[in-house]
Amino acid sequence: MRGWLGRAGSFLAASLVLMPLIAQAQDQASRYQQDPVEQAAARVVTVLAVLGIVVLIISIVKFKGAAVGPVSWGLLIAGAVALPLLMTGVGTILVFERAERVEFCASCHLTMKAFVDDMKNPQSNSLAALHYKNRYIPDNQCYACHTSYGLFGTVQAKREGLSDVYHYYTRTFHLPIKLMHPYPNNDCLKCHAGSAKWNDAHADYKDALFSGEATCMQCHADSNPAHNVAQNVTP
Amino acid sequence: MTTNTDAKHLQLNPTSTRVLLIGAQLLALIAFLLALQFLWRTTGGTLFLFSMIAPVSALLAALAVLGLAVYRFLRRHSLFEVENVEVGQVIFRQGEEGDCAYFIQSGKVDVVREEGGAERVVATLSKGQYFGEMALISDVPRNATVRAVTAARLAVLGKENFLTMLRVMPRTEEDIMKTVNERAMQTSEK
Repeated sequence: MRGWLGRAGSFLAASLVLMPLIAQAQDQASRYQQDPVEQAAARVVTVLAVLGIVVLIISIVKFKGAAVGPVSWGLLIAGAVALPLLMTGVGTILVFERAERVEFCASCHLTMKAFVDDMKNPQSNSLAALHYKNRYIPDNQCYACHTSYGLFGTVQAKREGLSDVYHYYTRTFHLPIKLMHPYPNNDCLKCHAGSAKWNDAHADYKDALFSGEATCMQCHADSNPAHNVAQNVTP
Repeated sequence: MTTNTDAKHLQLNPTSTRVLLIGAQLLALIAFLLALQFLWRTTGGTLFLFSMIAPVSALLAALAVLGLAVYRFLRRHSLFEVENVEVGQVIFRQGEEGDCAYFIQSGKVDVVREEGGAERVVATLSKGQYFGEMALISDVPRNATVRAVTAARLAVLGKENFLTMLRVMPRTEEDIMKTVNERAMQTSEK
């Protein structure tokens, strides 16, 4: 028994040491774009998940569901109570962080990939592409433009995002996809309003834009559409 | 203090305990695997599964384990709870962990040893007698199965209270140790 436990312990120790190193190595190429919160959360969740799986395997194989003595209770509490709860708690942070990434949006290939491809296309003249290639928005570019300002904007985005995921995986979406709501001026103005360049160029339209009587895209859609996408894919 | 409880509702047999704990561990395992899947490849589907299914799995697993721990704790600390058992009902099985002793208020029970798949009745106990004390004193698994021969009414004393009773009542300890020795000799003779 001691040998078996020793091997399991060695595996566990190796996992704990190697996992952060592997994660570190994978991150080298894009370290300037990484969010430290996301990185830390990913490492913690990885370690907790691997540790939890090892503990559960030892517990199931050795005790087969029996709870007798401090060792079996210790493994049960660690593997089925403490580690899963801790992991899902930290995992929630990771979920919120990763749900903002461009790669996450592009994972819904049938609907979103065309938009992301256009955004990343240096030849495109769309607003999304202009913002992306000039790094007007350093990261999470989809999220930055499609989430309204403040806590409620984030909550609304997550809620509607869940609905999108449901429609995508149940193949109940319709092409061409459309915005749920007209694009609000506020989502442009939250960055542009107040800058000297914008103030000079929009002196005559400011009030109309702030009140919502005019929309940004009324003027910009012809020269720079939001996205250059021809959706000819069917679900 | 005595409380009247239906034994069928309160007692968890070893099989259902194992099923409960293995189920809890599998639920926790699902949560961990969903986390690794989400870490490996973040898509709408893996994010949905990790953010919706994994917390529910983890919570159910935790509730099952903690619920059992609370149940075991209450059993070990029970103070003469009254349990009514029906004819043929197994009160505990050989090999289980012992968490309480039973004092017969009415009815009869058979003490049965299971050896090589065969059952052998080593004693029949009735009103005024008690059983289940050996596992508590020696801290070993139950050495026999006890089954009700007639409908019986049992007063259940949790392990902690039983051991406290022995410590504070030396005469009772002497009586019980005498009975334990007699039963050990009877069992070895049969």
